Amino acid sequence: MIARKSILIYKFTFVLLLWFLLGVETCLLAEQQDPNGKEDLFEMSIEELMEVPVVVSASRQAQKVGELSVPVSVITAEDIHYSGLTSIPEILQFTPGVDVLKLSRFRYAVGVRGLHEFISDRTLVLINGRSAESPLFGGAEYYTLPILMEDIERIEVVRGPVGAAWGANAFTGVINIITKKPEDILGYFGSTTMTEFGDSYTHIRVADKKDKWKWRVSAGYEDLKNSDDAGAGCYASNTTAAVNALMGFSRFTANDFMRNWRFDTEAFYDYSDQTKISFGTGYSHAELGDWEWGGYYPGGTGRYGTVRSYTKLEHEFDNGSTGYLQWFGNFGSSMVPTLMKWNWMQNDIEGQLNFKAANAHNITIGGNLRFIQLDTNTKIENPQELTYSGSPFNEQFAGAFLIDRWLLSDRLTFEGQIRTDYYSETQTDWATRLTALYAMDKQKDHILRLSFAKAFRTPFVSPRKALTGRVPLPSPPYPPGLFAFNVVLADELENEETYSLDAGYTGKFTKNLILRADAYYQRFDKLIGYTKTYLGSIPYHKADNIDGADSWGSELELILEGKPGKISAWYTYNAFQEDISQQGIRAYLPAEHKAGLTGRLFLSDGWTFNANYKYMDTTRKLDLDTTILEVGSSHRLDLGLAKKFAKGKGEFMIGVSDLLNKTNDPHFGLGQLSAHETPGRMFFARLQLKF
Amino acid sequence: MRIKAYNLIVLFFILFMALFVTKAQADPTTSREYQVKAAFLYNFIMFVDWPVEKMADINDPIIVGIIGNDPFGDAFEPVKDKKVKDKNVVLRRFKGLEELKKSAEKDSAQLNAQIKALKECHVLFICSSEKIHLKEIISLVENNGVLTVADTDGFIEAGGIINFVMEDKKVQFEINIVASEKARLKISSKLLRLAKRVIRVETNEKNQKHSKVDGIWNKTALRSEYVCHQRHDNKT
Repeated sequence: MIARKSILIYKFTFVLLLWFLLGVETCLLAEQQDPNGKEDLFEMSIEELMEVPVVVSASRQAQKVGELSVPVSVITAEDIHYSGLTSIPEILQFTPGVDVLKLSRFRYAVGVRGLHEFISDRTLVLINGRSAESPLFGGAEYYTLPILMEDIERIEVVRGPVGAAWGANAFTGVINIITKKPEDILGYFGSTTMTEFGDSYTHIRVADKKDKWKWRVSAGYEDLKNSDDAGAGCYASNTTAAVNALMGFSRFTANDFMRNWRFDTEAFYDYSDQTKISFGTGYSHAELGDWEWGGYYPGGTGRYGTVRSYTKLEHEFDNGSTGYLQWFGNFGSSMVPTLMKWNWMQNDIEGQLNFKAANAHNITIGGNLRFIQLDTNTKIENPQELTYSGSPFNEQFAGAFLIDRWLLSDRLTFEGQIRTDYYSETQTDWATRLTALYAMDKQKDHILRLSFAKAFRTPFVSPRKALTGRVPLPSPPYPPGLFAFNVVLADELENEETYSLDAGYTGKFTKNLILRADAYYQRFDKLIGYTKTYLGSIPYHKADNIDGADSWGSELELILEGKPGKISAWYTYNAFQEDISQQGIRAYLPAEHKAGLTGRLFLSDGWTFNANYKYMDTTRKLDLDTTILEVGSSHRLDLGLAKKFAKGKGEFMIGVSDLLNKTNDPHFGLGQLSAHETPGRMFFARLQLKF
Repeated sequence: MRIKAYNLIVLFFILFMALFVTKAQADPTTSREYQVKAAFLYNFIMFVDWPVEKMADINDPIIVGIIGNDPFGDAFEPVKDKKVKDKNVVLRRFKGLEELKKSAEKDSAQLNAQIKALKECHVLFICSSEKIHLKEIISLVENNGVLTVADTDGFIEAGGIINFVMEDKKVQFEINIVASEKARLKISSKLLRLAKRVIRVETNEKNQKHSKVDGIWNKTALRSEYVCHQRHDNKT
């Protein structure tokens, strides 16, 4: 059965690749038959004509996509807009090399090239280059981010370790969310999306400018119903039907709703031609269901509040050098009744200077200091079940980086990145990326890349200091005295390490046809997972640096974009082989085969049709001890049809997400025993007005 | 395991196919600089709103005029098959102003017809050969919804709307908003953002005279006179 399935996957992959090839060759032939044989500059956007750099996440400076030291895919504002989707992980799943699993109505496991869990602490998430991670868990909790979808200019997805540019957490990749500038969205804007289940997503915004000031103010409200209310929520055990019956899963009801209020504002002040100041504050308040533990929700309704603020001073010196000084603060307060309450503050000061040296060297130097205060023992009325040893925590990070982009000749560029980071509670470590880029032609339309990188991941408080995680299972249906998750304090944990070697090619065959191909090998060492130990007859789990793993793969992305619309297709092969069998790594492995197709067609009279398709292979999870869990393969298809009216000031959209699946299967994650299915197919309508 | 090996082989085959499929670039008959500038002119149309009367008839084309010694050659050839704002784009070439005046000595009606045609343009590129007539040409068309473009020093100060400048071998542009408002043109914020320099305050002879008188005041006057916004490419 397995062999047959593999053969089917192979055939599917092969057909898809043939399709890629045919597409590329057809377009190439079409261009070769152009009697003028000219590059059609008239099909280029004005940014392309100006050679405006578009990506900032590879080397902390704006660069063109083809000239990056690491593979980057970009999700544009248009991709987001015409998808009709209302959460960042939902749109990320249509990006090459990104593994996304939906765990509940609002929680997602997101990882670049896998290693994702309910907290994906090996992929760094940034908002405008500023960290969006939780200081308790290390990863980003997307639903707490005060970002509204239509405020996003683009999302840059970096595949591969870039710790040398961004620090410890850029272990498997970076997801950098870039917001729109006020001058691009002047005026009033309102948008509301309703789904067939009664979910809603509303966003209002005003952006204006006066004299030297530009500003944007956004506010939004999101309401997601429980999986039960949305036509799903059935429970299942990952063991047997008999266990299902014994545990009485049918008694459980899902508690995975979310209501979220978001507010986000930014202001920019042009102090002079050379000096600019910007600042902003975002606030998110969420009321939401709890984590699922063994089929039920011990914590009841939780409340999460997050404030993100920043101030940035940018200056351009007379000699053309540029630099900035920045402070940002992330503050959070979360409470899950009976389980845990925690408050935290992150303050970060960062500086960066970009200058030229000896003509051919573009240098970037900088560093940051971060102060974290975290209190996990805040008193709540009911007994806590999760505790952390040593709370409250006061931790300090410090990092320094140097990036040199050396334009050795018209065609050959070397880029060296090196960074060292000090962590007061763990260890000082370093990261690097060394890259050679070779342009195969004068226009630099065809570029080869070879790169080596080393990065590390330092354990945050949760794996390092979790002392007790006794989550009681309800009795009945469970026998009395059982707990879903028992933890003992870890011995001193070391940083996880990774080394990667990757090669890539970016080719621009015509004005609007781009092919990217990347292949990589990545070695992981000292991965932190859980081992099993017994206190009496009760099994406990203990975090430890267990062992390493190898991963390798290839990613292909083809983008054909023009005035009539856009077609992009991608295929990724991401393999992962752990050193020892049944090795817990606190994460799902990457789905080996993933493929995606996006089609967008701008029709006449303001109509636009959009389709997103994704295939994802089976996702494995190596869990705590002996169980290998699997999430089945899936096909996902989203369709949307939008119509502009009132001279483009209004737009109405109807669509369906996940057309092919009425529900999504449970993912056996945290609680190990069971999980519930979540709604899949969902029809929605959206109305937008701007004036 | 064998299946995985097949997959890898296929993937690397694709990768190498891609690597070796490259395309030779044809030699252009017009310099690359003016090919790019032609594409910019075409792009500008998308980011500018003309007065209603200028776009009233949906069958009328967008007219791009070039006055003076045309450096574009055949750079506009691809435009023949394209539409922008649901309109065809047509190119009109005009002789230099000096030459027009000379021909008017024989036939004044011809000059009037040429001036009328200039005013009908949506975009008018004023070639550098017309440098000494910049103000005169601009004043001929300035209240007629004509987007004036040039690549000549002093064009913005003479009341032109968009001027190309070269920087590090790349084509950039600057915008005079006051002039665009005079011409009743609305330039999109996106274009303004991409501009190297945006002039928001009227330039006038009086200020320029003052600035010539007092060297110290000169700098101050220029700074306040041209409230500029500059684009910075190399910032995160």
